[in-house]
Amino acid sequence: MEASNFKQSVPEEPHLDLYTIPSYSSWFQWGNIHEIERISLREFFDGSSITRTPRIYKEYRDFIICKYREDLSRRLTFTDVRKSLVGDVSTLHKVFTFLEKWGLINFSGTASSSSSSSTNALVQEKKKEVEDEKWRVRVEEGAPYGVRVVVAPNSLKTVTPPPPPLPLGVVGVSGGGEVAENGSKFPPLASYSDIYGELLLQQQQQAHQQPQGKELVLCGSCKEPCDSGHYEYIKEERFILCKKCFGNGDYGCKSVHDFKFIDGMNHIVVWTEAETLLLLESVLKHGDDWELVAQNVKTKSKLDCISKLLQLPFGDLMLGSALGKSKFWDTRADISSDGQAVPAAREFRDAVARDSQQHEHKHEDQQNAEDRGPPQKRLCTVPILDASSSLMKQVARLSAVVGPPITACAADAAVAELCYENRCSREIFDDDNFGDESGYSAQNNEERVCRVESSEGEKRPAMSELQETTPQKNVVPLTLRMRASTATCLGAAAAHAKLLADQEEREIEHLLAIVVETQLKKLQRKAKVLENLEVIMEKQHDQFSEFEEDIVAERMNVLQEIFSAGIPRWNDHTSVKSHTGNAL
Amino acid sequence: MKAHSAWGSSKNSIKFRIPTSDNLVPIRLDIEIDGQRFRDAFTWNPSDPDSEVVVFAKRTVKDLKLPPAFVTQIAQSIQSQLTEFRSYEGQDMYTGERVVPIKLDLRVNHTLIKDQFYWDLNNFESDPEEFARTFCKDMGIDDPEVGPAIAIAIREQLYEIAIQSVASAKESRMIKKGRKGFEHITASKTGGIAVDLVKSFGKSSVIRKRKEWDVFEPMVDLLSNEEVDALEAREERNA
Repeated sequence: MEASNFKQSVPEEPHLDLYTIPSYSSWFQWGNIHEIERISLREFFDGSSITRTPRIYKEYRDFIICKYREDLSRRLTFTDVRKSLVGDVSTLHKVFTFLEKWGLINFSGTASSSSSSSTNALVQEKKKEVEDEKWRVRVEEGAPYGVRVVVAPNSLKTVTPPPPPLPLGVVGVSGGGEVAENGSKFPPLASYSDIYGELLLQQQQQAHQQPQGKELVLCGSCKEPCDSGHYEYIKEERFILCKKCFGNGDYGCKSVHDFKFIDGMNHIVVWTEAETLLLLESVLKHGDDWELVAQNVKTKSKLDCISKLLQLPFGDLMLGSALGKSKFWDTRADISSDGQAVPAAREFRDAVARDSQQHEHKHEDQQNAEDRGPPQKRLCTVPILDASSSLMKQVARLSAVVGPPITACAADAAVAELCYENRCSREIFDDDNFGDESGYSAQNNEERVCRVESSEGEKRPAMSELQETTPQKNVVPLTLRMRASTATCLGAAAAHAKLLADQEEREIEHLLAIVVETQLKKLQRKAKVLENLEVIMEKQHDQFSEFEEDIVAERMNVLQEIFSAGIPRWNDHTSVKSHTGNAL
Repeated sequence: MKAHSAWGSSKNSIKFRIPTSDNLVPIRLDIEIDGQRFRDAFTWNPSDPDSEVVVFAKRTVKDLKLPPAFVTQIAQSIQSQLTEFRSYEGQDMYTGERVVPIKLDLRVNHTLIKDQFYWDLNNFESDPEEFARTFCKDMGIDDPEVGPAIAIAIREQLYEIAIQSVASAKESRMIKKGRKGFEHITASKTGGIAVDLVKSFGKSSVIRKRKEWDVFEPMVDLLSNEEVDALEAREERNA
């Protein structure tokens, strides 16, 4: 199995000889007859003839293989073999072709007699295969009677490089294994958006671009914001023309060729939190009237708005997060260089309140939570559940079902997986000390949920400080947290499912045991009945033999009487004949 | 299952057939009209319709550019050989173990072949054509006519043995009717030409004694033109 160079010693020889046989024939053993042989050469094993027995098969086989191994370089032919073996040539031929097909003979021999014959071609083909595929495992095409041999010595199946070590303590909790197999590729789900890719892009852009945060690209000619794209003058850094002005030829004394077009669509679509909020709010207000939405957002074009909305993980979650963050809207809005967003954001609160009852309800909850503050544990849980919609609720419920340690492990795995998934997220986790999420989950569930709230609460001031430098960062932990909790939730669910499955299995085992026991009892009873029958039979047998003895004795008596009476011989003859008849 | 049924059971008697995988009748033609001689040997599937015989004859004559008189002769010859074969069909053949020695001694064009081997009559999977192919390949025979000739020679011998065993089976049945407990005698009688494999396995091994190797070793000779002519002349004389 493990090695393609299967080493065998010929029993006749004192020293070990190494022979090469194909890996698919590694079942071969001198001392044994394998199942494949039994099935392929059935006639030796069905006891149909005394000239075809397993012993004779083994002798045929061993002789042919030994004969071949006398000189490996030569192709052994059937005609060479049959003169030395006693037996039906058809049967011998069958054995021979069987051995040849499995490469036990004529395997390594060079095809010096490379004639056009079919078997030779087969051998060559096999050889080629071997050379080409470097001992690759083949499921023998000719495997008789559906025998499939799958030996896996050095499987050529492209082994995906093992993923970086994951702290996976619990088997089957996270989807880590699956991810590793797929090479961390996610299917293009409608609800999935590559948040990290965007984040990376944004970070890179931030690193490359001006450190003073997001500012509008203003046309150097008409002083209007350039939405979809602009031309940058290479020689002077900050001189920019919008498409319209460029088209009109308003670049003054500068050369046309010194302008570089920068597509706003692809490169500079960076959404600030405020803009995103504005967008969502506008969508709420105007529905899919994108013209109006774009007008409301002001800083982004219609297309940008649509694509951003499509990229968002999902609407309600985003909305929830927006509501959850409403507390520090004001601070952010003040700090934000984008002055237009502020009144809009304020409007948004009212709009939400007006828009639907559900939202109003949420909003009130939110405000309640704000009023009461984080210290009251019981009540704290409500807003956090609301803030992140039903997700946290589900996590809590599920983690309650499976128990804290499993949830802890699930959370661990989830965070680890997220870290592994993307360098960016790992950085974020590290930066924000997000690792503590894995720490807290070991504790009591309720407490745990509260700590999510409290840890968020702790972070809020810190975040608002961070706000000045990197306004985007606020979004990141939240979305990541969402994902982490989603993963945790899934992990917990999986754990729960496994528990259920285990239980099912135990039950099935139990039932099976009962069934087996019952069957056993049945069999025992049958055995008992049979024993009784046997006793009866034995008794009857004894009786019969007694009868027989009696009858023989009687017969002897009769015969003696006949002899003594001197009755003629013909009677005697018939009795003898009947006697032989009995014997036959 | 499949393999099992392919082997004739030693218990039940077998209806007459050529004891190979394909029930093909060996046909040998040797026709001489007006000094022109036509000799050929081939196999015929007895389940083919007899109308094919005439078609075949016409075709052969046309292909070989023989005089038209050959058509009826060929057709008649084939037909009579088929009729003979069919007369045995439905009759019981031998019972029990039957391994017979097959001896080859034939000349095809320039190739002379001598060989001897055992053939199991109970093996209805055996394939003389396959055997002949392997033989030619192993012995490096290039002449494409040799293989079919070997196969036909085997088939003819098997056919002969099958006919004999039909006769002996009939005989043993007749004897059986007359007297009881006679089986063992007839069995040994019908087994006259059959080989007792168990005995020839020797004491402990299926491997032949060295001195017997020559007997069972195929001999292939390539004759020169003169030798062929001489042989043909001798055959003429003998005939």
